[in-house]
Amino acid sequence: MTYSAVKISKGRGGWGSGLTLLPTDENNIVISVTGGGIHPVAAKIAELSGAEVVDGFTNNVPDAKILCAVINCGGTARIGVYPKKRIPTVDVYPGEPGGPLAQFITDDIFVSAVTPAEVTVAVGATVPAAAPAATLSAEETAAAYKADAARKAAARGTGFSGFVVGFGNGIGYLINTLLSSGRQAVKLTLNTIIPFMAYVSLLIGIVTYTGLATWIANLVSPLASNPIGLILLGVIVGLPFLSPILGPGAAIAQVIGVLMGTQIASGAIPVQYALPTLFAIDGQVGCDFVPVGLSLGEAEPETVSVGVPAVLFSRQITSPLSVIIAYGASFLLI
Amino acid sequence: MDAITWFATNFIGLFNEAAKSLMGLITGILPLLLVLLTAMYAVTTWIGEDRVTRAIQWAGKYAITRYSIMPILSVIILTNPMAYTFGRFLPEKYKPAFYDSAVSFVHPVTAFFPHANAGELFVWVGVSAGVLKIAPDKYPTLAALYFMTGIVVIIIRGYATQWITRVMINRGGHQETFRRFDEMYEAGHIQGAKTEGGVL
Repeated sequence: MTYSAVKISKGRGGWGSGLTLLPTDENNIVISVTGGGIHPVAAKIAELSGAEVVDGFTNNVPDAKILCAVINCGGTARIGVYPKKRIPTVDVYPGEPGGPLAQFITDDIFVSAVTPAEVTVAVGATVPAAAPAATLSAEETAAAYKADAARKAAARGTGFSGFVVGFGNGIGYLINTLLSSGRQAVKLTLNTIIPFMAYVSLLIGIVTYTGLATWIANLVSPLASNPIGLILLGVIVGLPFLSPILGPGAAIAQVIGVLMGTQIASGAIPVQYALPTLFAIDGQVGCDFVPVGLSLGEAEPETVSVGVPAVLFSRQITSPLSVIIAYGASFLLI
Repeated sequence: MDAITWFATNFIGLFNEAAKSLMGLITGILPLLLVLLTAMYAVTTWIGEDRVTRAIQWAGKYAITRYSIMPILSVIILTNPMAYTFGRFLPEKYKPAFYDSAVSFVHPVTAFFPHANAGELFVWVGVSAGVLKIAPDKYPTLAALYFMTGIVVIIIRGYATQWITRVMINRGGHQETFRRFDEMYEAGHIQGAKTEGGVL
């Protein structure tokens, strides 16, 4: 019997750094715990590795013999059961560590959102001692399993139960995607948005309580309360030597945005000027990030050296221009 | 004693003020943001990267779509900052203009799609919170206008930067280099096939 190592990477929206699995004689069963039948991902893993695939819903397999478990769970139960037993787990839904067993779901034994396309032969990791005769036996096994899988697929694909399984899988995919999106949203909120809210709130607290807000507002309001001043603000933030300094994290634009908001709320700045204000305080957007942004687009070094000044000079024109356009559009707001 | 009382009152007062503002943000914005983020992440997962990539490549062919549809889709689907990676589908001479166009959309986009730039929400949220307080009926109009004016502005920025990039290439004597880049692009030499990041 010969086995090859397979590499399983995470799919779209998935989690985990990927698994490389190599079956051994004691450890050669891919168990498919996907609501009856053999999931295509389980079949592909077995096909490429030379392991045997078994439907975990209808057969009981000793844990020690399991190479990996293929599951379809984005929720909290099955997702953690196999990782808890330290059995490599391949989730066909975009699951992430969650639920009561979350601490067992680690990226060395768990990967999610896997489709057959993510299952590939690991290069250079085939078991070397494979004699031609043994290869033949592997092919036989593969053929045998294929026939077996085809029979099972046929059994599952027909009749009412096939429809129910298909429908259930569809609903499962829908719900699991939503659930994992929710988890992603909460994580982003916790990691990025709430910290920023806390920081901005503290800043606003200090600024309003000490009266600094009134002071800054007195400074900026004359600019922000008439169109010419707003355009001037657009010119200033677009200055090629100033714009890269004002840019990072949009920190300055955000703080000024909040201050302008409080001024609008208090009636010091007319509502109509909200729109041109949004553009006037943001003319420098991304000017600090040009080389990074260009290299994200895989630009050549020559493009970066031409592109950085091009964007900065262009901004000197388009920053005040955007304020003028927004001022024009703001009449629709009245 | 007076000094201590003064200090204590104002010390607590300052943080009370900050806490009040935090409470407003958390009850006012956070719930909406959470459900919106969830929906957008799910939708982008369902649509899938392949389809988006095809649409983006088509949009890159024409100047008008290159500075409108292309950056809009990039920013909404891949979010800031991974949106700029779609620049790789363009010839070198258009990359600065595409970047300028895409980056200028990362704040107007937050009026409707806060997930696209969740770390920099307060440009929009800060200003619009004031409008929401004094004239709530104007808020939806302002959101729509910010989004649409944003689109007009990114088109103009795209064209302007494309033009200035060309001037810079000619002035700096880089014509030969960029002609070579164009030939490589024509020969189907799009650099790198890797895709990563964003919400996908």
